[in-house]
Amino acid sequence: MANLTTNLGKLVLTNPVMTASGTFGYGEEYAKFYPLKQLGAVVVKGISPFQCHGNPMPRICETSSGMLNAIGLQNPGVDNFINKPEYLPFLRKAGAVVIVNIWGKSVEDYCAVAEKLDGVEGIAALEINISCPNIKEGGIAFGTDPVLAAKVVSSVRKKTKLPVITKLSPNVTKVSEFAKIVVGEGADMISLINTYPGMAIDIETRKSRIANITGGLSGPAIKPIAIKMVYETANAVDVPIIGMGGIFTTADAIEFFLAGADAVAIGTANFIDPMTPIKIISGINEYLDSHGYSGIKELVGNLAI
Amino acid sequence: MCQFQAEQSKIINNCNIKGKYYRIDFMCEKIAELARPGQFVHVQIKNMGERLFRRPFSIFDVSDDGVLSIIYKVVGYGTCVLSGLKNGEICDILGPLGNSYSIPEIGETPIITAGGYGAASTYLLAKNSQTKGKVLLGAKNKDELILCDEYKRLGFDVEIATDDGSCGYSGLVTDLLAYFLKEAGIKIYGCGPNSMMYAITKMLKGTSKIAELSLDENMCCGVGACFGCVIKVVAKNEKGWEYKRSCNEGPVFKSNEIYLDF
Repeated sequence: MANLTTNLGKLVLTNPVMTASGTFGYGEEYAKFYPLKQLGAVVVKGISPFQCHGNPMPRICETSSGMLNAIGLQNPGVDNFINKPEYLPFLRKAGAVVIVNIWGKSVEDYCAVAEKLDGVEGIAALEINISCPNIKEGGIAFGTDPVLAAKVVSSVRKKTKLPVITKLSPNVTKVSEFAKIVVGEGADMISLINTYPGMAIDIETRKSRIANITGGLSGPAIKPIAIKMVYETANAVDVPIIGMGGIFTTADAIEFFLAGADAVAIGTANFIDPMTPIKIISGINEYLDSHGYSGIKELVGNLAI
Repeated sequence: MCQFQAEQSKIINNCNIKGKYYRIDFMCEKIAELARPGQFVHVQIKNMGERLFRRPFSIFDVSDDGVLSIIYKVVGYGTCVLSGLKNGEICDILGPLGNSYSIPEIGETPIITAGGYGAASTYLLAKNSQTKGKVLLGAKNKDELILCDEYKRLGFDVEIATDDGSCGYSGLVTDLLAYFLKEAGIKIYGCGPNSMMYAITKMLKGTSKIAELSLDENMCCGVGACFGCVIKVVAKNEKGWEYKRSCNEGPVFKSNEIYLDF
């Protein structure tokens, strides 16, 4: 048995597999399939200071080797998340390592969520979402403007003692520049990539298949983009990297480690096969054993050039 | 803890029943045993290539020996591939998912209003109901009518409405339902196109009757994680509504919680 222990700075996980925000609800749904403490971490769906209804329907559609979504960050708001039994209290009881994805329409919103979550029992880290393509204000607007990205991260940093992850958008010319900026402002980790903006049209109705007109593309279709961006980022910054984008199999996950990811997140695959993260955890173990590695660390960034 | 099952299920029958309608039977013991009327299964159809999503189907019937049956209409790529699968092939099935209809109390007469393949979702309810009532079946035309004989065999009165008058009443099936609304001791159920469910909701506004209606939207995860299949329900907030997930907070909603936009 190889050692799957994963050190992400102060954050130590039993294995490097987590769930990607927005693809795992608040954990309760998938706890019907397996115990959540088997995961490295659960990254919950984005939380804002206010309750958010999300976008009109339709919100999702299937595309070649992937999907588009424009859910619009529907969420119960930070107070309900902390207090209602089906959210954080449930995850605490399940023994899950919880990473809370946070977002807002303004820098003040991001700070308000971070402040409320600081000191709350059962939260391991915050993930700042500056990369959602599906909301009118906030999200990707912060992740594609270097000045705003810096401001959000430095402001949130001051409001929390928790490790801060910044989730980057692939919708920029050079993602590594954004990584450098947010690390400079105090981000302890980088996660990438969020979905890539996309669109699909029904040629009979001539309508977009998504009510929001555009959505975020995820799934195997974006995996090569994600791997390249993880590779670039790993070579640009010195903080742990959580890689994601179309991971469906153990082999996909191994590619991300070799490109420089310290941990991986499973997203769209949860929708297709709920057992994917668990299968990948044991698959990584088998890969490490069969290839003579004693731990996951030996694999990270070990790309043969 | 593990209320859901993911079961490798062997196809034991997959045949055309009428026009674009098919019946498929799976050996699917665990899910068949747990299934309640109105629930659905999420099927990973084999040989779908670059198309990743599972496809959701109402559970039509289950048998004591572990057979789970679905009635489906070929409407797109997924159902087309499904119709070509042969006996002995295996599909990964998740289920049983979603909530269910409540079985009529003793003395309550069920009135089931179903449109198109919606009639498949209410069959198990009729089968499990102690009191036999009425089934109002609606379809575009007589070629689109399914399951009349099956409901009759359960002892239900079947009334038919077709849009073009090619069978039964000429008009909407909801017109037939209107006749029964004043009767005492009835319990109304419905499954069909969402527009039909909203029409029933509208009819019942201002009456004391509450129907159980099955709605659906395009589904992705089927278990409540993605928030892709929401419908509007009445809520005490500034908008008067909020979104609920049709997969795990539905697909069955009470008519008095369904929010009408129009």
